[in-house]
Amino acid sequence: MKRAGFFQEYGVLVAFVLLFLMAAIRFPDSFLHADNLRNLLSQNAYVGIIAIGMTFVIISGGIDLSVGSLVALCGAVTVLTVNKAAESGMVLMVALAAALAAGAVAGFANGAVIAFGRVAPFVVTLAGLAGFRSIALVLGQGGEIRSTVRSFGDFGYDGLPIPGLTNIGGKPVILYWSTLAFLLVALLGGFLLNKTRYGRYVIAVGANEKAARYSGIDTRWVKVWTYTLLGGLVGLAAFFNSARMNSVGTGSVGLYYELDAIAAVVIGGTSLAGGKGRIWGTVVGVLLLTLIGMLLNLWRVDPNWQGAVRGAVILIAVLLQRTTKPEN
Amino acid sequence: MARLAVRNLSMTFPAVQALDDVSLTFEAGEVHGVVGENGAGKSTLMRILAGLQFPTSGEVHLNGRPERLGSVRGALEHGIAMIHQELNLVDELDVAENVFLGREITRRGVLDRRSMIAETQALLEEVKAPFGPTARVGSLSIAGKQLVEIAKALAVDAAILIMDEPTAVLSAPEAEALFGLIQRLRDKGVTVLYISHRLPEVLDLCDRISVLRDGKLVASFEPRNEPVDAQTLASSMVGRPMSDMFPAKSVPPSGEPILMVDRASVDGFAEEVSFILRPGEVLGFAGLVGAGRTELAEALFGARPLRSGSIEIAGESVTIRDPSQAMRHGLAYVSEDRKGIGLILSLSCVQNVTLANLRAYCRPVLSSTREQEATARWKSELDIRAGDLDAPVLYLSGGNQQKISLAKWLETDPKILILDEPTRGVDVGAKRELYALIRSLTARGMACIVISSELPEIIGLCDRAIVLREGRAVGEVSGETMTEEAIMRLAAGVEAAA
Repeated sequence: MKRAGFFQEYGVLVAFVLLFLMAAIRFPDSFLHADNLRNLLSQNAYVGIIAIGMTFVIISGGIDLSVGSLVALCGAVTVLTVNKAAESGMVLMVALAAALAAGAVAGFANGAVIAFGRVAPFVVTLAGLAGFRSIALVLGQGGEIRSTVRSFGDFGYDGLPIPGLTNIGGKPVILYWSTLAFLLVALLGGFLLNKTRYGRYVIAVGANEKAARYSGIDTRWVKVWTYTLLGGLVGLAAFFNSARMNSVGTGSVGLYYELDAIAAVVIGGTSLAGGKGRIWGTVVGVLLLTLIGMLLNLWRVDPNWQGAVRGAVILIAVLLQRTTKPEN
Repeated sequence: MARLAVRNLSMTFPAVQALDDVSLTFEAGEVHGVVGENGAGKSTLMRILAGLQFPTSGEVHLNGRPERLGSVRGALEHGIAMIHQELNLVDELDVAENVFLGREITRRGVLDRRSMIAETQALLEEVKAPFGPTARVGSLSIAGKQLVEIAKALAVDAAILIMDEPTAVLSAPEAEALFGLIQRLRDKGVTVLYISHRLPEVLDLCDRISVLRDGKLVASFEPRNEPVDAQTLASSMVGRPMSDMFPAKSVPPSGEPILMVDRASVDGFAEEVSFILRPGEVLGFAGLVGAGRTELAEALFGARPLRSGSIEIAGESVTIRDPSQAMRHGLAYVSEDRKGIGLILSLSCVQNVTLANLRAYCRPVLSSTREQEATARWKSELDIRAGDLDAPVLYLSGGNQQKISLAKWLETDPKILILDEPTRGVDVGAKRELYALIRSLTARGMACIVISSELPEIIGLCDRAIVLREGRAVGEVSGETMTEEAIMRLAAGVEAAA
């Protein structure tokens, strides 16, 4: 009759709040600074957007290793589209549509092979990891693709000014569009998972695919749409990322994003075994990883240690959230 | 001195007192039956004895000394072995490898296969297994796997063998063979703890029967000394006198058939089976385990491919390729495999009940209020005993899980309900409720197919029954001709003495 205890349920949130308070007390000036707090939200917004999609894939019992490479591919498509559409007045819209479409098509392909070809998600997306990057490199002739449209690059730094908040220079602090997109995607993701039929089916497929199938659920399409959703979100992240850079480095952009996204999902308390998970946990997971990075900087820890600390955080989070397995 | 005794054993879970001050002794060379409704505490008692769980209070004594069993390994070291309902074998390994799993014989660090095979051979002869030590376990029948489990227990010289519903998955002849083996083991001095919901076999087999109810020991019988009948046993299990198990049958239905199956074949499982089903009728599928009944039902439901044959529902010819199509034609299939197929154990009662009919709760946003209301309605209608409808169904007893699984399908408002072993692992009280429920559903015009390996269930519940043998419909019985003998004769392929 054991149900998850408070700490198993809200441990990540508690850890985040404690670390936040610690940072606030120890570095009242540099940490509790409007720009810095904005950065806490915005720094990993790209990974965050992807992690929301990854949460769905992992809950459905799958995994997607191809997202980092797909960022490069979608980025390349985005910038090439921007350059093509330079003359039209709707550069942003067209580029966004191209990014989303490229991501969704790639995700759909992943999902279709997994669901209809019955190949393990790990293998299919491992192939994607290799393949998508390679196509991106071909498009970029092995290097960077620069955007020729200045307004596209400006968009990457644009956003909503936060009322009442100014930085040291006295200018208003801006919440970037990418950050807003991350928060919006998280809200919609939570709604989709908990309040729609599709969300319930994702959970059911991850928890017991056979039982789901016998309940009349078309489990194959549930999987295909889940990978497509993630692909589309990767496209969205790539769009913002390339706007920020006003270019795309096809060899380097998105490297290790798959690991960061999976780490955030796992830290957030979603079970890698599938069938159980939560969106808000993933958001806290992303923020926690960002916060730890910031703290290490403030403490002037050799940046080479970052990886080790991240690794430790992942392990600790998973160990703490481990519920005592029901017997049988 | 008793070989095994428990003293004042109690086990408290957050919501339930699973065992309440139970004291029992188990002697060498006795078959000791433990019976009770689901949730009476049988499983908890067994789990404690098998080292899977710690009691909240009380002691376990072995040969007069209090012992802490601690773990499965600890229990094994004390000579206690449990044969689980869900067998714990590795399908990919052979019999000898399974028997010695975790305690392989080695010589200078290298596996000594020859000795292990020889020892396994001896054990297999002892249990009269019809296969050798190098047979792959995955290729054995359930009965065969059970023999491997028993051989495994004998390999560690287990003096106490706990058997949890061993016959639930066996056909009648297989069960007979098992009873023979249990008796031989008893005569050699082994103590057998025997848990079963099938009261007649408990009465036949056991030297002593202890009855648990709500975690307490409420009665003890010694059928060898003073005969006791199943009725008395059942009454003491439920704590009130039991009237007839089965509801009255209805007037033979004579309407237009709702389902007509013509020469349906399923690769490897069924050959040209034809039958019709009328609204208001309960049709039984009888036969031995492995006769192809489940596979045929699954094929009708679209869960496995039908090789050939045609299906007509309400006079219309239909093709069913997957369960969702079957559901659109008003079919529902309550699986025999509650834990693997019928339910999603990690989801809540509410989520399970609405899963097959989720469309009705979306417009397009899921309304959890309406989901809760519907589940609460089923809870009272089917008398489901669940404290928290948002808790995983994993924590419910077998009978209540079965009711949730049934509620899930009744939610879809089916015209044709296929029930596969609907009372397996369900206690006697809940069984009776299920039978009554099935009849009240058919009284409202639903048509039911009941697949059952329990002959009394077929005879007591069904209007008519088709007997399957090796995938073929070998006969149909109804009314006067529906007797255990007639069904067994058809099922086992023995020609009737004309």
